[in-house]
Amino acid sequence: MDDIYLIAVLSNIGMISFIALSAYLLLVVGEISFGQQAFFAVSAYGSGIATAMWGWPIWLGLLWGALVAGAAALVVAIPTVRLRGLYFSVATLAFAEMVRLIFEIFTYQVEIEGELVGPDGSDGFRDIRAIYDSNVSDFEYLLIIYGLLSVVLIGFLILERSRLGAIFRMIGEDPLLTEMQGLNVNAYKILAVVMAGVVAGIGGALYAHLATYVEPKIFNVMLGVHALAYGLIGGLGTAVGPLIGVAIDIGLLESIRAISGYRMIVFGGLVAVLLIVRPRGLLDEAAVHWLRGRWRGLVRAEN
Amino acid sequence: MPILELTSLTKHFGGVHAVDELDLSVEEGEIFGLIGPNGSGKSTTVNLICGVVSVTAGRVAFEGRDITGAAPHRVLAAGVARTFQNIRLFGHLTVWQNLWVAQNSVEDRRSENFAKRWFFGSGAARDAVDEQLEFAGLAGKRNELAANLAFGEQRRLELARALATKPRLLLLDEPAAGMNLEEVHALDGRLRTLQQAGMTIVLVEHVMELVMGVTDRIAVLNFGRKIAEGLPAAIQEDEAVQQAYLGGSVETAHA
Ligand SMILES: Nc1ncnc2c1ncn2[C@@H]1O[C@H](COP(=O)(O)OP(=O)(O)O)[C@@H](O)[C@H]1O
Ligand SMILES: [Mg+2]
Repeated sequence: MDDIYLIAVLSNIGMISFIALSAYLLLVVGEISFGQQAFFAVSAYGSGIATAMWGWPIWLGLLWGALVAGAAALVVAIPTVRLRGLYFSVATLAFAEMVRLIFEIFTYQVEIEGELVGPDGSDGFRDIRAIYDSNVSDFEYLLIIYGLLSVVLIGFLILERSRLGAIFRMIGEDPLLTEMQGLNVNAYKILAVVMAGVVAGIGGALYAHLATYVEPKIFNVMLGVHALAYGLIGGLGTAVGPLIGVAIDIGLLESIRAISGYRMIVFGGLVAVLLIVRPRGLLDEAAVHWLRGRWRGLVRAEN
Repeated sequence: MPILELTSLTKHFGGVHAVDELDLSVEEGEIFGLIGPNGSGKSTTVNLICGVVSVTAGRVAFEGRDITGAAPHRVLAAGVARTFQNIRLFGHLTVWQNLWVAQNSVEDRRSENFAKRWFFGSGAARDAVDEQLEFAGLAGKRNELAANLAFGEQRRLELARALATKPRLLLLDEPAAGMNLEEVHALDGRLRTLQQAGMTIVLVEHVMELVMGVTDRIAVLNFGRKIAEGLPAAIQEDEAVQQAYLGGSVETAHA
């Protein structure tokens, strides 16, 4: 296996991990979103416009993309927060399809050095060249992806230990009971949707700059469905779960050449089997609790 | 002024008059029993007070303030906590977390400190959780997932969680259901301790042993209407009440 291929696979795992974490956060609060690809898309376009058309530096473009995705999530969250279960899922799907269709017709181009640059409807958005213009190698970009992923993952792990994290899990388990602890469930859910939007947005911005080209059809519902599946495979007990899901799908299934043609079938079968034997994934809450107990035992034995 | 006052409180579910023009007033510091046959509207009354179901007509006042139709989190913020007839806990959280979040939701309303409010909670809240674990006899189970507790422990945790929100009025919906005699006596003791500490309690209960012993006054519901109200001894003698319990005596009605 050559380095270029390895770097490409690892970059892909890293970027997709963001959208997987995004879908995971909503699964934790008990909502199944079929629309996280929309925030990935909004940020891909938003950050691309910022760097390629407005000449912003990459880091600012990434930040901008994440912010725009967060803002889009807020717009979605406010009307949908009252919806539960299937209704929420359908609303997120409808929103995401709407976003995709808007990008199919969204044209905003400027002339830079004699060339038209910018989104051109269904022909997509070419030449998002910021990382190549500033001579960032693929390997350096890989480090940027994993640097940001580490920051986000650590954020998630801190969140899990925190009061806010406990509240998110409470809402996922029993929203009415959470409300009866004096907590404004709708407000916390809006917060979760916005946070999930920002996390998906980071992935989308990273994606646009590595690919240098985005088009609306990349952001179809299959991306969102995969994002959901990763949490359901890896487990909903910890943020490490969805990352395991991504690694299993992209790392393992895609690199086993023998099953290359049947990857979707193997993947679908895996999800179906897991949903039956471990409905909340490999690292579900009980497994994580057990591991934490072992860990505490070990730490105590050391001292 | 009564701490809790229900005026003509009414709830219809379609054609079912679950609660029908109910007037009730509970004085501060008393343990008030609410009894009645199955389906007589006791849980619905609790749900109406807590804002879990919408009010068809009538009024709920707590400490003189109108809380009719307020959202559940606002009712809790006003100082009313409750337990459920069917135990409801956060099974995916540990015993300690169940209490900790409830405890902090009180602090939440006071704390302006971002980190405290959303991330780590206050030290005072941690100490209070430890106290509650002691009171509930769950100190040894703090790191257990709530789902893994035994039935009696879950009941105790539910009560502790309600107490963690520092209510002034506590609504208990059949807290003794499924308990053995020993556990019922322990609950009796806890309720008296709470009363001495100044808590007002509305006790919905079928276990007459507990109701007749611990309450100061009792109201009896039948088909959503109040058919009797008075001291426990008088309720036991009341003819309409005995009629409601299918002609049997109140003492043997462990339905
Ligand atoms: N959510 C609901 N929808 C429809 N009917 C209900 C609902 N909740 C309670 N009821 C009806 O209201 C009546 C009173 O029920 P409930 O308050 O649970 O009685 P209790 O707690 O005294 O046993 C019953 O006839 C019950 O079937
Ligand atoms: Mg009931």
